[in-house]
Amino acid sequence: MPDFPIPGYHGRVLVADLSLGEIRPVPLDPGTALSYLGGRGLATRLLCDTIDPACEPLGPDNAFVIASSPLVGSTAPTAGRGHMVFKSPLTGVIGTSNSGGTWGAAFKSAGYDALIVKGAAAEPVMIDLAPGRAEILPAGHVWGKTTHETNDVLAADAGPGRPARILCIGPAGENLVRFAAVANDRNRVYGRCGPGAVWGSKRLKAIRVRGREKIAAADPEKYKSGQEQAIYLLKQAPVTKRLMRDLGTAGLVELINLIAMLPHKNFQDCLHRDEDVDRVSGETLAKTLLEKAGSCYLCPIGCQRHTRVAGRDGGEERGEGPEYETVVLTGPLCGIYDLAAITRANYRANELGLDTMSYGGTLACAMELAERGLIGPEETNGIDLAFGSAEALETLVGLTARREGLGAALAEGAHRLAAGRGRPELAMTVKKLEIPAYDPRASFTQALGYMTSPTGACHLRGGYAVSLAFFGGAKEIPRFSLLQAPIAIRNMQNMGILQDSLGICRFTGYAFSADPWARMASGVTGRDLSVAKLEEIENRVATLERCFNLGAGATAEDDALPDRFADVPILVEGRERRVTREDQERMKRDYYAVRGWDAAGRPTPGLLRALRIEEARR
Amino acid sequence: MTIEVRFFAAFRDLFGGRSRDLAVGEGATVGDALAVLCDTAARRRELFAGAGLRAHVVVMLNGAPVGALRGLATPLAPGDTLAVFPLLGGG
Ligand code: SF4
Repeated sequence: MPDFPIPGYHGRVLVADLSLGEIRPVPLDPGTALSYLGGRGLATRLLCDTIDPACEPLGPDNAFVIASSPLVGSTAPTAGRGHMVFKSPLTGVIGTSNSGGTWGAAFKSAGYDALIVKGAAAEPVMIDLAPGRAEILPAGHVWGKTTHETNDVLAADAGPGRPARILCIGPAGENLVRFAAVANDRNRVYGRCGPGAVWGSKRLKAIRVRGREKIAAADPEKYKSGQEQAIYLLKQAPVTKRLMRDLGTAGLVELINLIAMLPHKNFQDCLHRDEDVDRVSGETLAKTLLEKAGSCYLCPIGCQRHTRVAGRDGGEERGEGPEYETVVLTGPLCGIYDLAAITRANYRANELGLDTMSYGGTLACAMELAERGLIGPEETNGIDLAFGSAEALETLVGLTARREGLGAALAEGAHRLAAGRGRPELAMTVKKLEIPAYDPRASFTQALGYMTSPTGACHLRGGYAVSLAFFGGAKEIPRFSLLQAPIAIRNMQNMGILQDSLGICRFTGYAFSADPWARMASGVTGRDLSVAKLEEIENRVATLERCFNLGAGATAEDDALPDRFADVPILVEGRERRVTREDQERMKRDYYAVRGWDAAGRPTPGLLRALRIEEARR
Repeated sequence: MTIEVRFFAAFRDLFGGRSRDLAVGEGATVGDALAVLCDTAARRRELFAGAGLRAHVVVMLNGAPVGALRGLATPLAPGDTLAVFPLLGGG
């Protein structure tokens, strides 16, 4: 392998074809590296070069790509993320997901920039990576095991040397649950869009990595100036200095309720009794369940929640979570305010390898279908499926992962569940992805973010309005501004693309934005990766993702909220609020214009030329 | 007139409770109400930097951030609810 000319990269991409049982490194094209950076950007490019976007997501023609970045594995704060991109079996459009922990940094130190996995094995397999070594091994001995068991077995039999890091699926992925997750370091989760089902369809159980290859910066002075600034700012900003560690993300529960954005009963309203909200707040969590905070790779923020809870049959259980999204979507969204039940269901979901967000959204949908008599007692096998039933939450998580009983229907996600009963409009999804725990009627900005997120309703890919509207200080974007929403959301989506492409954590954004990253990235690579250059990359990635989705059959009509949000108002600051179809159309039109796409949401040939995007290079 | 003030996170300890009713004069503003609340040096120090709010303090009037209204000069009406909480992170 020739020396790669760009510092920060190894210059190697591994390609595994599980149908052929082959794995081999190929050179990473330097132009591709600099045009797409790493993480989400690079993985999206490599996916587009590997698969037809129209392929069957659970067939051998789908692939997934995991990519690191020039910063991953360096001393940059939080730079330990791997990012995975694939065609989603839940949404049928691009799927993109990442997780913290240490796996991403270990993957980089094994000597690879990215891994492409295509085809499908006949029997369960795993991939084993170390510097200069890449193997496909049988994995029948861990098939059927939970993510925790798999992690522990594969870490233990890795032999002496540096600790091995394991990325794996649980039973939900094996059983092709459409919102199955992939987990690393036991409880860090690539949650959204169903990557676990893609792995399951390939009969890939795990990827084990270890290594010690280091990255040297081309311009250490420049790199250091950015890195030191970043650490200084993280230690100054109140949120990253202390508040995230104290309360975790669940600290948001009460605030989001206060601003009338906390969803209830499958988004039927946002009305909760204060004392109920209190039972599931971040404060209650901190006082009753929290053992200690924890951190991912080189993270000074430390938002992880290591918790303990009374088990259902006595005894005590230990685990991690719940996060804000999990608390709300498996809690109040289902009419449930039982923090212990939410926490136990979260533990089970992590072990079985399920996305708690889509599980909560799907369960809430099932509860509404039951309320309307569309799921009858003959299907529930004695489980109380009424809103508020913690029994349903705790029992169905296992049934869903194993596709047993009613769990088989839930395993398909909210859209297919509701459509199968003739009422697709009761699924609170955008592009079939279950909506996060912020009611879009309480913010036009959030509504547009869900509508235009490339992956379907996602606050991380689509943009996050709460921090814009309430934490922006002088730069606050009012939450009901049709005019400001499109540019605000574009900017926020772009920042997300940058963070995902550098393999760093979103929460650094509470301390600073692009500038320190630009200096670190330029310092490592020795190339001009100024803020302006990075913006060009962000726009390129956003437009390439759009091209993928159009190739997968998505149209502008898919950039829309479920009918409920246009038709049924909620009360915000004393006023009835909804997002009418006209308002949706107007924001969408302006957003397309801001992106340089035509009225039908298609990137123009001129834009593709300007961004130097070759749509298909297969 | 009387308004309700609600506290969140660490401010509950600082102000000794989850909420309280506060009597303020006619024509009082958000800033006036907060000045009444900050009756000790410690409380003042946690909320104010000079004449303005500290960067990590978020104050909302009936669910709207006062920064988007008229800031500390926003007038109050009887029955208003003021919420005081620290900047939070998450997503
Ligand atoms: S802020 Fe939380 S999620 Fe982000 S890197 Fe740190 S511990 Fe991990």
